[in-house]
Amino acid sequence: MNTSQTYRPSTPNQSRLQQSWLKLPTLKNDKLKKMGSALLLLISVFTFSLVTTSADAHDSTKIPRLANGKPDFSGIWQTTSAADYDLEPHSNRKDAPPGPGIVEGGEIPYLPKALEKRKKNFENRATDDPALKGYTLGVPRAVYYPEPFQIFQRARDLTLVPQFGHSVRTIHTNNTEHPEDPNDWWLGDSRAKWEGDTLVVDVKHFNDKTWLDRSGNFHSDALQVVERWKFLDSNTIEYKATLSDEQVFSKPWNITVILYRHREKNFQLIEDYRYTLDYDQYYPPKPDQK
Amino acid sequence: MYSNSGKWQVEVSALVFGVLMGASSLGIAADEKLTEKKPQSSQENKTEAQKKETATPAQTTPAQTRRPREKSFPKIASGSWTGSRLADGQPDISGFWSNTIGNHGNLTDPQGGVIGEARRTPLGPREERAPSRVSDPADGQFPFQPWALAKVKEFQVGFHNPTNPAHVEPNARCAPGGIPKSLYWHGYDILQYPGYVLFVFDNGSRIIHLDKNKPHLPEKLKLWNGDSRGHWEGNTLVVDVSNHNGKALFGRSGEFVSESATIKEKYIFANDGSRYNYEGTFTDPTVYTRPFTITIPAIKYTREEETDGWNLEARWAKHTGKTQILEHDERICHENNGGFGLGATPK
Repeated sequence: MNTSQTYRPSTPNQSRLQQSWLKLPTLKNDKLKKMGSALLLLISVFTFSLVTTSADAHDSTKIPRLANGKPDFSGIWQTTSAADYDLEPHSNRKDAPPGPGIVEGGEIPYLPKALEKRKKNFENRATDDPALKGYTLGVPRAVYYPEPFQIFQRARDLTLVPQFGHSVRTIHTNNTEHPEDPNDWWLGDSRAKWEGDTLVVDVKHFNDKTWLDRSGNFHSDALQVVERWKFLDSNTIEYKATLSDEQVFSKPWNITVILYRHREKNFQLIEDYRYTLDYDQYYPPKPDQK
Repeated sequence: MYSNSGKWQVEVSALVFGVLMGASSLGIAADEKLTEKKPQSSQENKTEAQKKETATPAQTTPAQTRRPREKSFPKIASGSWTGSRLADGQPDISGFWSNTIGNHGNLTDPQGGVIGEARRTPLGPREERAPSRVSDPADGQFPFQPWALAKVKEFQVGFHNPTNPAHVEPNARCAPGGIPKSLYWHGYDILQYPGYVLFVFDNGSRIIHLDKNKPHLPEKLKLWNGDSRGHWEGNTLVVDVSNHNGKALFGRSGEFVSESATIKEKYIFANDGSRYNYEGTFTDPTVYTRPFTITIPAIKYTREEETDGWNLEARWAKHTGKTQILEHDERICHENNGGFGLGATPK
């Protein structure tokens, strides 16, 4: 039997698959009909399983939730991406693995003058990256820096404690607004609202002292970040952010990273106040050597 | 009451209230001003340019009168908790807290000024000031071994003009305050979550794991704020601390523990949620002749009006709702630090 004839598309514009579905009910041969039915069943089961798998992944009832029904991001999270080495696509180099970057569209839309500074930062990255001094990573860098951070969550706020450094970030979820007459902060000021199960955070009032990665991508104090935090499943968060800064970028640009929950038994943060390493040998006093 | 005579005194709460609210002229002791002469905090330690750049609304408000310092404070008995609870059953004690009797200038005479520093006004009788933070032994003194006492005395001299880096008080470098100093430096937040109590200080944080079955970190790891396991016993948060690195020192009087110390802490909360007493028992055979206990009284701050740039640095949040919500700016000391002595010594 030449099934290829049976299933031949009747018109050149219809796909083979479409045609096979269309043709199946018209089959005359009983044996073939049984085979066709079995195939249909198989396809149906396969399709159904695809649908159910997909439904599981997005089953909004299975993600952790607070008592108020909002998604509960509590836990210890970390990216596996190489984003912190360089947000943009880059080949391998002595101090970084290769990476496709996490910038939507590939490259950050720097203004010409800012691009010069970014190049200078890159050249001096071995000494000028603030993270090398143990400084506050800022937003969004603290999210994709390759160390764990813990989210503590209440109805009124999320508190993000990084393993690296000492700077605790609060994301307010209590309908409060950015303060009037604000200052420039290392972490900016984070005010959030829920769009369904997505936490949308507006962050602004930054200083200009943090970098966006260790390759020297940077921003000014005009930076504004809009973050979108969403569960893909109960152990995975999709983190998206839009960065705008009219002093540095010609237009807003977007990044996406995935954060994974640490599920190792007894996993915990271990404080990393590495800015103390230059002097911590002086403490505490010890008995004099005899 | 805890008092400087080292024994319990029974005083009615009205008197405590009177001390709290009515004695501002007495309460802000001269030693407080002296104690804070050297730049320490994220704001006090900045250059003027940095101050301007990072000043918060709270800090630009005309200086508020600091809540008067207590000269004595009530004992709070460990017992049942009758106050409000969180959904997970923990006593609800979240909020902004700060110690009530003084800062980290002098541990054994908290209102007596920094040891070895000239005073503008002479100190009165010892019993007029708050008791030693050392509540055991009864004499209020640290039971140092001779070598350790010698080191502390060296520090108390060197502190005033440090030529040895070991005599720079680590907090002046914005190092984490460690245990117990974090509880009598700036005010701090206590936040609670199922399985955790979280402290957020001006320079760093401390996570108390409420899970007895979670083992401590391997002994080799030494941390500024240690590794803490806790549980609630009625009104008392009981915490077991290991992995403490001993580097933070206890204050400007230079007391310390070594990295082999273990610490058992009790945070005993009053049932009205307004205050707690910390009792930390330190065991460290390499530095001390016996265990000792440090007691630190603390009160909860709930009103923006009490923002004073030290114990409370918070403000009412901007929103359209009817309730007032107190919130705190980011707490970042190190990056904003101008260096010890306004930059005279690198941070």
